[in-house]
Amino acid sequence: MSQLNQVLLHPERRVGADLERWLAAGGGAALRRALKGPEEVIDTIEAAGLRGLGGSGFPAARKWRAVAAQAGKPDKYLICNGNEDEPGTYKDRLLLEETPHQVIEGALATAVATGINRIVLYVNPGIQGALAAIGAALEQWRQSGWLEAMSEILDHQVTLELLPSSGHYCGGEETAAIEWVEGKFPFPRGKPPYPAEFGVHGNPTLINNMETLANVPHILLNGAEWYQSLGRGRGHGTKLYTLSGDVLKPGVYELPMGTPLQELIFEYGGGMLEQEPIKAIFAGGPSNILLTPKDLDVPLDFDSVRERGASLGTGAIIVVSEGTGIVKRVAEYVNFFAHSSCGQCPPCKTGTHYASMLLQKIDTGRGTRADLDALMDLCRILPGAGRCHLLDGVVKLLDSSFHHFMHEYQRPLRD
Amino acid sequence: MTKQGIPYAQALRAYNAEREPALPQGELSTDELLRRYHPDYLSDAMVDLQIGPNKGERCHKQLADLLQANAIIDEAELAGAPVTETDVLVVGGGGAGCAAALTAALGGARVILATKLRLGDSNTVMAEGGIQASIEKDDSPQRHFDDTMRGGHGSSNPHLVRQLVMDGPDVIRWLIRQGMQFDVNEYGDLLTRKAGGASASRVVYCCDYTGLEMMRALRETVCNRRDIRVWENSPVVELLSNDQGHCAGAVTYSPDRGTFSIIKAQAVILATGGMGRLHLNGFPTSNHFGATADGLVLAYRMGARLMELDSFQYHPSGLAYPTHLAGYLVTEGLRSAGAYLLNGLGERFVDELKPRDYVAAAMLRECAEGRGVRVDEHTVGVWLDTPNLERKRPGFLAERFPKLLQTVRKGHVDPTREPLLIYPTLHYHNGGVEIDEHGATCVPGLFCAGENAGGIHGRNRLMGNALLDIICFGRRAGAKAAEGCHGRGHKTVGLEHVNRLRRELTEAGLPRDVKSPMLFPTYANFRITSCRS
Repeated sequence: MSQLNQVLLHPERRVGADLERWLAAGGGAALRRALKGPEEVIDTIEAAGLRGLGGSGFPAARKWRAVAAQAGKPDKYLICNGNEDEPGTYKDRLLLEETPHQVIEGALATAVATGINRIVLYVNPGIQGALAAIGAALEQWRQSGWLEAMSEILDHQVTLELLPSSGHYCGGEETAAIEWVEGKFPFPRGKPPYPAEFGVHGNPTLINNMETLANVPHILLNGAEWYQSLGRGRGHGTKLYTLSGDVLKPGVYELPMGTPLQELIFEYGGGMLEQEPIKAIFAGGPSNILLTPKDLDVPLDFDSVRERGASLGTGAIIVVSEGTGIVKRVAEYVNFFAHSSCGQCPPCKTGTHYASMLLQKIDTGRGTRADLDALMDLCRILPGAGRCHLLDGVVKLLDSSFHHFMHEYQRPLRD
Repeated sequence: MTKQGIPYAQALRAYNAEREPALPQGELSTDELLRRYHPDYLSDAMVDLQIGPNKGERCHKQLADLLQANAIIDEAELAGAPVTETDVLVVGGGGAGCAAALTAALGGARVILATKLRLGDSNTVMAEGGIQASIEKDDSPQRHFDDTMRGGHGSSNPHLVRQLVMDGPDVIRWLIRQGMQFDVNEYGDLLTRKAGGASASRVVYCCDYTGLEMMRALRETVCNRRDIRVWENSPVVELLSNDQGHCAGAVTYSPDRGTFSIIKAQAVILATGGMGRLHLNGFPTSNHFGATADGLVLAYRMGARLMELDSFQYHPSGLAYPTHLAGYLVTEGLRSAGAYLLNGLGERFVDELKPRDYVAAAMLRECAEGRGVRVDEHTVGVWLDTPNLERKRPGFLAERFPKLLQTVRKGHVDPTREPLLIYPTLHYHNGGVEIDEHGATCVPGLFCAGENAGGIHGRNRLMGNALLDIICFGRRAGAKAAEGCHGRGHKTVGLEHVNRLRRELTEAGLPRDVKSPMLFPTYANFRITSCRS
């Protein structure tokens, strides 16, 4: 059996925003099952080993339990995070455009299991097609009578609403999303308190990525063992990998979690464009440690990638071929982060800007040894100085590019 | 191929300026004549495109070779390239580019105008006849609209034509405000003349160098503005895209230094003109040195749809003799003023004020059937009867067409005494990048104006509509581009669209060693020499 697109992107499930077709394709069954036995849902998810697929890899069930355990607050929120803005990541866009009902049903089942009554679909307005599709899908759920039936069984009202996000990169951070839902600018908050205890307006809040939620219905229907058996090696289930860069066939590929990197690039991605050799791989998006050709054998699951010092992140795999200037590429990404910094933490606001400026200078041949030293100093003093992980991502990127490609930094120096 | 015809000296002896030949009867229908003689209908010169947004559509082979060629640069060339940020980048230093830059700057945007040669080295300066605008009492935009649609054989985009004709009078007013001179009568009213295919007299002009005068005024205005930076000798070799596929700037090349520069912009306006210097079907051209279809190639790679890639205008009156001036434009204004076209036998063979494609096809018919005037094995043509015009209106040529007189007299031809030998010259690309009323293409952030935009002239353009088109849509694109310039610019820019192109080339099995845009004609022997290699 082909390993490609077995679950989330299975051709039968890519029905678009048509609820009738989704129900005909077996939709709704998972939600009914969750309604029959809400207390078993978290156990099943835990047994399946579902992890946060938005980048953290944090066990989903643990967050859910924390929220489910909260009592005494008026509301409980679920924010379905679709603020996708990371360079090289397009999986949520595809998921929302082609199978929005899967995500909504997953969100509803999650709400049932954790006693959540307010569901917010938080979607980046920059991905217009996705926003339109999920909006259309949502309207059909509202009119279908499912929500009323749910509310009757659960004995509390469940609301479902679509909220276009700010579109800012930092808005994808969990606490920033909470701020936006509260109607404020998406500044990330410090943690603790954790959202599970003190989220939107002080209520317990669960935040999961769209892809994580989309997996829920399938696990409930087919069981934990089935989900585990999908993975390869240490991975469970499947993962949406966004392959881009200098490969012949870029795109979103759903493959078993733990598929080796080279299989993704050469078997599914059609190999390198113009048969150029690989120079580096930005795995998990650009805010991560760089991988090099010797890491091609790494199985793409959270733990194996972490063992190489990198992170699977959102599943973005940006492949860069020989000939690409690493300094230029890093400068481009750091510039992205400098643009994206929300500006509330001075070290991040000035640090990213300053790093971007130095990189630009070095790349265009105007830099000196002192500039390079300053850049390396920044990498020592900046980590941990921001509320969110934006700054740490920048430092990881810089550090790993120093580690593998120091000569490219040194070559254009003036002295 | 050796060309046949009546020898030049023999035909000149038989010529008589006193004659008033009658118009021939029983002309072929337009469709029939075009199908048989117009170069656009040479079916073996056309191919189907294999990649890109216009896949499967007909395109001239020489143009298809450029559209389906590999990019000049890849990521490697960008290492070390300096980055400049701006709001609006205008590519092209002709009339459309200047108009776009000026309006964008007025809209509050920081503008860089990058041009391959120097500011004003363009086809705008070649335009002689004038610019159409329905300003006369007996005229109206509606009539202008009808003429333009009819002239384009009904295939123009009516929304664009509507915008064109409605803007006409205001464009003239705007040009006067920029300091442009027009010919006026003793009361100071604008003079007009009638264009081929037009139902009213609506071409305003400045002698026979209207475009040159327009460019002079625009060039000065652009140079006087401090918010427009002009980058001369900076051909754009590739556009940049962001991660959403929007256009986000361009890469320029410096032939002097052999280096690349990156310009990041929130909007890019392509105003790179036409492609006469491809010498399609072996025709001479009236176009300037840099007319090599660069804008079409760049836009196509970004994913913009093109249209009418098989429709070109061969201007009927390009000089054929003296041969060193081959292709040099003789304005349609002469025919508007009443000059006849005569074949080698001294007969009129076509109504001179029919649309250009029809007249050109009729001339090609005369030459193909041996009634042309033959200079040597490569050169034939037909007479443009200037002495007859001079006889009827003495001094008229010197007053209205001084530039022509001066040029041809240097070749020892005196148009007041002997007729001019002319032959169709590759003049204009009727199609181009598909745009809306604001010059926007289907790629966000990418605008087009001027000759490299399509849809305005259908399959044939009327005289005087090109100058109107460049200013009308140049201004509209500039204003719209400036409107969108808020926020902090693009977060990431790169060459992802070039990778997409290479993927498509690989999958279609097309060669990847042919590179485009070509930037300069083949005989310029130009080569990119990067300082890296």
